[in-house]
Amino acid sequence: MPKAVKLALLLAPAFGLVVVMMSLVIWRAVAQSFGLYNFNGEDLLSLRHWAEMFATRRYWNALEWSAYVATTSALITLAIAYPLALWLRKPFAGSYLLSALLKAPYFVPGLVAVFLLLNVIAFHGIVNQALMWLGLTDRPIRLQNDRNGYGLIALQVWKQLPLAFLLLQGAVQAIPDPVLNAARDLGAGPVARFRKVVLPLTARAMQAASILIFINVAGDFTFQATVGPTRENSLATLMVQYQGTNYGDWNAAAVVGVTLMGLSLVGAVVFTALVQGLTRAMERA
Amino acid sequence: MWTLPRLQTLLASLLTAVFLLWLIVPFAMALLWSLVDPGTPWSYPDILPPALSFERWTLMWETTTLSTAMFNSYTLAPVAAVTAIVLAAPTAYAFARIDFPGKAAAQIVTLTPLVLPGFVTAVFFASILVSFGVYSRYGAILLGHVVLFIPYAVRILTVSFAQVNQEVINAARDLGASGWGVFRAAFWPVLKPGVLASFLIVFILSIEEFALAFIVGSPSFTTIPTILFSYLGYDFIRPNAAVVALILVVPNVLLMLVLERLLQSANPANVSGKG
Amino acid sequence: MPGIDIEGVAMRFGQVDALKDVSLRVPEGAFVTLLGPSGCGKTTLLNIIAGFLAPTRGRVLFDGQDVTGLRPEARDTAMCFQSYALFPHLSVQENIAFGPRQKRLERAETARRVTGLMEQLGLAPHAAKLPNALSGGQQQRVALARALAVAPGVVLFDEPLSNLDAKLRDQVRTEIRDLQRRVGFTAVYVTHDQAEALAMSDTVFLLNGGVIEQSGGPRDIYFRPRTRFAADFIGAANLHDGPISGGAMDTPFGPVPVDAPDAAHRTLCWRPEVVRLTEAGALSGKVAHVAFQGGWLDLFVTAGGQTLRLQVSGTHDIPEGATIRFDIPREAVVVLKDGANA
Ligand SMILES: Nc1ncnc2c1ncn2[C@@H]1O[C@H](COP(=O)(O)OP(=O)(O)OP(=O)(O)O)[C@@H](O)[C@H]1O
Ligand SMILES: [Mg+2]
Repeated sequence: MPKAVKLALLLAPAFGLVVVMMSLVIWRAVAQSFGLYNFNGEDLLSLRHWAEMFATRRYWNALEWSAYVATTSALITLAIAYPLALWLRKPFAGSYLLSALLKAPYFVPGLVAVFLLLNVIAFHGIVNQALMWLGLTDRPIRLQNDRNGYGLIALQVWKQLPLAFLLLQGAVQAIPDPVLNAARDLGAGPVARFRKVVLPLTARAMQAASILIFINVAGDFTFQATVGPTRENSLATLMVQYQGTNYGDWNAAAVVGVTLMGLSLVGAVVFTALVQGLTRAMERA
Repeated sequence: MWTLPRLQTLLASLLTAVFLLWLIVPFAMALLWSLVDPGTPWSYPDILPPALSFERWTLMWETTTLSTAMFNSYTLAPVAAVTAIVLAAPTAYAFARIDFPGKAAAQIVTLTPLVLPGFVTAVFFASILVSFGVYSRYGAILLGHVVLFIPYAVRILTVSFAQVNQEVINAARDLGASGWGVFRAAFWPVLKPGVLASFLIVFILSIEEFALAFIVGSPSFTTIPTILFSYLGYDFIRPNAAVVALILVVPNVLLMLVLERLLQSANPANVSGKG
Repeated sequence: MPGIDIEGVAMRFGQVDALKDVSLRVPEGAFVTLLGPSGCGKTTLLNIIAGFLAPTRGRVLFDGQDVTGLRPEARDTAMCFQSYALFPHLSVQENIAFGPRQKRLERAETARRVTGLMEQLGLAPHAAKLPNALSGGQQQRVALARALAVAPGVVLFDEPLSNLDAKLRDQVRTEIRDLQRRVGFTAVYVTHDQAEALAMSDTVFLLNGGVIEQSGGPRDIYFRPRTRFAADFIGAANLHDGPISGGAMDTPFGPVPVDAPDAAHRTLCWRPEVVRLTEAGALSGKVAHVAFQGGWLDLFVTAGGQTLRLQVSGTHDIPEGATIRFDIPREAVVVLKDGANA
C-alpha cells in the first residue's frame, strides 16, 4: 500500500470527520446568512438578510453585549488568575489545597453552576441574608438577573478561572528557578524580573488563556438565558430566538451565527495583539 | 512572628476557607432543597427545611421525564466515547508516529470543534439535519458528540502513541512477536491509561453537553442537562432543579477525580492545554 | 575584587542539616574550589554566597563587610549555573547584555563588553541565535560570558562543566582559568570531580556532610590527606593500621617508614605513585593483577591477605605472578587524624 494512501486512511476517521463536519457547519452558516438553503422560500443569493439585520437594534445590542461581557470576563479572569499562579508557583503549606480548589469549578457543569448561584443569590438566599445582617441593606435586594449583568460576569469568571489558572500555572511553573536566580544575580529586582523574564515567558499562555476565555464567553447561551439581564441578549440567545419555534428564521439566525464567529475571530486577534503589545512595552520600559 | 511563609500560609488558609464555603454552602443548599418534603414547603424565615424526605426524588422519578433523560444521557455517553476512541486512534497514531508535511496544521485543524461557539455548531448542524431529513435524534446527537469531543481523544491518544518506545517494538519483533503480539507487548500497556482517560473525558463531556442536545433534541428528546435547563427557566421549580443538578454533577465529579488521577499518573501532558 | 569570609555558616532545611558550621576564607583574586560528594552542601554554600539563600546561622563578609542580609541583585557576584539557566526568550547577545542593562551601563560600554566577550569565547557567529539552537558547550560559554559581562568581583561556578564531554571539559576548564587570570575576579568553583579541583585551584576546600573536612593547596590536599575520607575521596590511597615503633610500621609487605613517634594504634596513608621499584627495596609482594593505563601501570600487589595499589611508569613490563621489591619514601607517608585510636 503506498504511503500516502495509508496516511489518508489513518487520518480519515478523526481528522477527516472533523474537517468534513466542521466545514459543512461553517459553510451552512455562511450560506444561509446569504439566503441559500432557505427553508421558508426560494434560495436566493442576496445580502438581504444582512441588510435587514443591520437595521435591527436588537442585533447591535446583542453584539455589543456579547463583546462587552466576553472582554470584561476575560480581563477579570486573567487579573485574578495571573497573580494567583505567580503566588502559588512554589509550593508552601496550604498551597496544594488552594490550587485544587481553584480548579474545582472546572468539574461543575455550567447549568449546575447556574443553579447553585441562583440559590445563593435568591431573594431570601444567603447573600441577601448576609447583606442584611451586615446592615448594608434593610430589605432583601433582587439580585437575580441584575440589570448590569454583575451576576452573569461573576459566574463567567468563576467558570473560566480554572482554565486560565491551569494554563498560567503551567507556564509559570515551567520557568526554572535558576533562570530567575540568574536574573537576580545580574541585578534584576522583583519588578525587572517580572517584566523581563516572567512576562515574556508566560505571554503565550496568557494569550491562549485570554483567547479561549473570550471565545467561550462570547458564545455563551446558558448563562445569559438564566442569570443574565432579561433585557439583554447575547448573540447566541438571539440566534436561538431567530431559529427557534417562535420565528423559524434560519437565515437571520445564520447572520447572527456568522457574526458570532466573526466576533470570536476578532477577539482572538485583538487579545493576541494586546498581550504582545503589553509584553513588549513592559520589556522595554 | 510574622514571617513571610507564615503570612502566606495564613492567606492561603483564609482563601481556602472562603473557597470551601463558596463550594460547600451552595452544594449543601442544593442537597437540602432536593430533600425538602413536598408536603411541607421550606419557606422564609425557616433556616432549615421543616421536614426532610426522599419523596421529591421518587416523585421526580415517577412523574417526570427524568428517567428517560437519564436513560438517554447514559446510553449516549458510553457509545459516543467508544466511537470517538475507535475513530481517534488511527489519526492519533499518524500524528504521533508518522512524519508528514502539514502535520502541525492538521493537528490544529482537528481542534476546531473546541473553538467554534457551541450554539453555532448546534444550530447549523440542526440545519443540515433538516436538509437531509434526518429524524433520529439519538443518532444525530451521537454523531454531534463524537465530532465535538473527538479532539480530546485525538490529543490524549497522540501523547500515548508518542510514548510507545520504538525499541520495545523492535525487541518484540526481534523475539518473533506477530502484529497482535507486538500490539499487546509494546502498545497496549502504554496506551491503556490514555484510552481510559479518553473514554472518561468524552463520557463526562457528553453527559454535560447542552447546546447540541437542546437545539437538536428539543422538545421531544431530553437529556439530563436539557431537563435541568427547563427547570431553571420560566417555571423555576427549585426542588426539582436541585434533584436534577445533583444527578448531573455528582457522578461527573467522581469521574473527573478518577480522570485527574489517571492523567497525572499516565502522562503529564495536559488535556486542556493550548487549544 | 573582594575577598570572601564565611564565618560559622549553618543551613538547615526542615530536618536536614545541609551545612553545619562552615568557616572559610577566600583571598581576593584567588581561585578556590569546593569539592565534595553529592549532597554535601556545595550548592547550598554557593547559594548562600550569592544571596539566594539566607543562612540559618553565621555571616558572609565581602572585604570585611557583612553582606549576609544583602539581596543577590545588590551583591558583586555572578553565578554560572550547573543548568546554564540561560534566558530562553533572549538571543545570545541579549543574554549577555542582560546584566549590563540591569546595571544601567552606557549603551556603548554594554555593546563593547558584549562584543568583546563574544569574540573571546568564540560566540560571535551565534550572536543572534536563541539558546536552544546552541550546543551544550556553546551554551556553557554563553553562561560564562553572561556572568562576566557585569564585570563581577566574584564569579561563582556550580559544576559548570558537568554537562560537557571529556575533551570539551578540558578545553573550557583552561579557558576559565585563563579568563580568571586575565580579567581578574575572585572565583569560587564547585565540583565533585577531584581532578578538576586539583588542576584548577589555588585552594581546595573539601566538604563532607556539611562540614569542611580539609582545606589546602592541591598538592597538600592530595599528598597529605588528614582523614580517611580525604584520602579516599581524592584519588586512590593505600592504608595500613597498626602500631608504630622506631619510625616504622610492620606490615605483611615489610616495614613502612614514617616520620612519627611511637604509638600503639595508628593509620598510615600513602599514594600509589610515590612508590619506587628497586631490587634493594625493603618491601615486597606478589603482583596479583596488572592494568595497563597507557601512561602508567596499575599494579595490585598482595601479601598476607592484604592488597596494595602501586602506580609505576607505563614503560615497565611486569608480568602477573611476579614478586617485586619496592621502597616508599618516608616523607610521602602520612598519619591520618581519624585513624585507629588517633
Ligand atoms: N531547598 C531544599 N530543601 C530541602 N533540602 C534541601 C534543599 N536544598 C538542598 N537540600 C538538601 O541539602 C543537602 C545539600 O544539598 P546541596 O544541593 O547543597 O548538595 P550539593 O553538594 O550541591 O550536591 P550535588 O553535587 O548533588 O549538586 C542535600 O541533602 C539536599 O537534599
Ligand atoms: Mg549541587
